[in-house]
Amino acid sequence: MNDRAANGVQAPVVQLKQVTKVYRKGAQEVRALDGIDLRVEPPGMLAVVGPSGSGKSSLLHMIGAMDRPTGGEVVVAGRHLAALGDAELTGFRRKTVGFVFQSFNLIPNLTALENVMLPMEFNGVDKGERGRRALTLLERVGLRARAAHRPGELSGGEQQRVAIARALANDPPLVLADEPTGNLDSKTGQVIYELLEEIARERTVIVVTHAEPLAQRAKHVIHIQDGRLLS
Amino acid sequence: MIMLRIGARNLWRSKLRLVLVATLIGAPFFLLLVMQSIGDAVQRQTETLKQNVNNTLQLRARGSMGHVNMVGNEDILPQDALARVRSVEHVARVEPYLLAMTPTEGHNFAMIVGVDPRDTRRLESHGEAGNPKILFGRDLTDEDRGKRIAIAGQGVARWAGIKPEDVGRATLTLDLKRTHPVIFGLDRPPVTLAVAGIYASGYVFGDMQLFMPLDTFREVYGVPEGISWLYVRADSADNLPAVERQLRAMLGNVADIISPTTVAEFQTTATAAVQRLANGGIGLSAALMVVVVFFVMLLVVRERAWEIGTLKALGASNPGLVAGFLTEAVLLCVIGAVTAAALFGLWGGPLAQLIFGLGVSPFLPAHYGTLANSLSLSPRFSAATLGILIGACLFVALAGSAWGIRQIVRLSPMEAIRHE
Repeated sequence: MNDRAANGVQAPVVQLKQVTKVYRKGAQEVRALDGIDLRVEPPGMLAVVGPSGSGKSSLLHMIGAMDRPTGGEVVVAGRHLAALGDAELTGFRRKTVGFVFQSFNLIPNLTALENVMLPMEFNGVDKGERGRRALTLLERVGLRARAAHRPGELSGGEQQRVAIARALANDPPLVLADEPTGNLDSKTGQVIYELLEEIARERTVIVVTHAEPLAQRAKHVIHIQDGRLLS
Repeated sequence: MIMLRIGARNLWRSKLRLVLVATLIGAPFFLLLVMQSIGDAVQRQTETLKQNVNNTLQLRARGSMGHVNMVGNEDILPQDALARVRSVEHVARVEPYLLAMTPTEGHNFAMIVGVDPRDTRRLESHGEAGNPKILFGRDLTDEDRGKRIAIAGQGVARWAGIKPEDVGRATLTLDLKRTHPVIFGLDRPPVTLAVAGIYASGYVFGDMQLFMPLDTFREVYGVPEGISWLYVRADSADNLPAVERQLRAMLGNVADIISPTTVAEFQTTATAAVQRLANGGIGLSAALMVVVVFFVMLLVVRERAWEIGTLKALGASNPGLVAGFLTEAVLLCVIGAVTAAALFGLWGGPLAQLIFGLGVSPFLPAHYGTLANSLSLSPRFSAATLGILIGACLFVALAGSAWGIRQIVRLSPMEAIRHE
């Protein structure tokens, strides 16, 4: 258990107030998020469930500072994202959030070890420490023996495990996973989900999925449709 | 640092692409090197002319061109002029010449020059600097003194039907009785000379000369003494006016004293034209490289938008991403430059000659049509070449990547998701 959870009073790791996101498609206005209020307390896994185009990924992007809302307030780990400039948002993403993508998004010409070391290098962690921590993380996801392999030499499930190790590299309080099992078969998806469950014991994991059976294993589930929270 | 490493490693992601891009960048780099070598060679030629001419005076018999068979110009300097000139203070070297003319076809006539083998082969009307480039065979040597042997300009060789492969065995016969409106016949027997070498002067008139040893000339033309021209070199350009004053005082009544002016003409015609063309070629090459790098790097940004988005999502900064991108662009240019430099080292000389003939010669005044043959267009790698390569690499990488960099900075981390 880390300092965040050791604190008696649980401060929310994510707090959204009346968040809206409006996209323009030509003359048409699309409300991807429509007045979302959300409070997520650490640790644990929150599953965001909804059909395609419901706004669940947009929600994740707002929380991860990958996109800016049209209105409302996003506070993550105590930081008001609207007040941050581009460089500060970069620093925020580096330290506060770990991303897991549906297509793994590993850098193809780096080895598994280098991929895991990458966020630490951005964060200024020294070389020896980077290597040690990356190997520990690869061991945790069961891939220490594959450390020198490039993504093209790994299976889909292995690549996603490397991506999870990479998301944990800077020990962020929040891990965001966008359809992390979407490109995997059900058996491999199960393994990835169990790994995320394990991670969620020590930090907050928000998982976007449309696989209801997997979502039911999360501590909390929210449903979203047409940019609004249903539950 | 990681972004620089990623940038460097990105080069090797597709070997086919690397080869293609290196070729596309290498080709204009090669052209740039060739154009620079052409510009340099002409500049060197000019400098040689300057060095050899700026401190030199020419003496001829007063009112005469000094050609032993030229109508109205057959007067020559007395033999003692040589010793008198040598005695003048600040005179570093004196080179005596004997000249005659022979009618030819194509050109009206060729110049026949007697020269000490140790002295400079100076070319009338142009190359007072002398020592034209031997294209085939060899130059005159001390052993040739008194022998019936000569070296011919490529114009004379063509007129006489001497082919390069025949040099050393070929002969040329001078009919001293032949006349021309400006040449009178000499009552002397025809003379056959062995042609030891063919030279190129870069100048039509300069190529219409035949050099033989001075002693041979005296025997062939029956000129036991006297001098057509005396070239007088002062020990420095600064002392030339003093030398000229003394010579006028000593020989002013028998000699015309002339300061050669050909350098100025060469500089304002050939050098300026070649430099303009070479600079144009260098500019065109650089522009081509910028265009190639521009498209390559634009493709790279489009192809790797998701990667850039991912790196941004992981916390990469814009300066870091730009540094990685520039590293890749600079290394691509360096590989192109190294490829071009290797090719330049192998085939730069012949190709420079070819490009000069096809692309530069047509823009020169007609009488410089053979300039390419006289230039030393061998591939040279000087500090300037290295500087140009480094400078061009940086300039091309920066200019060609500018748009790609703008795209990178504008890319959002959302690109990491859009790829899914």
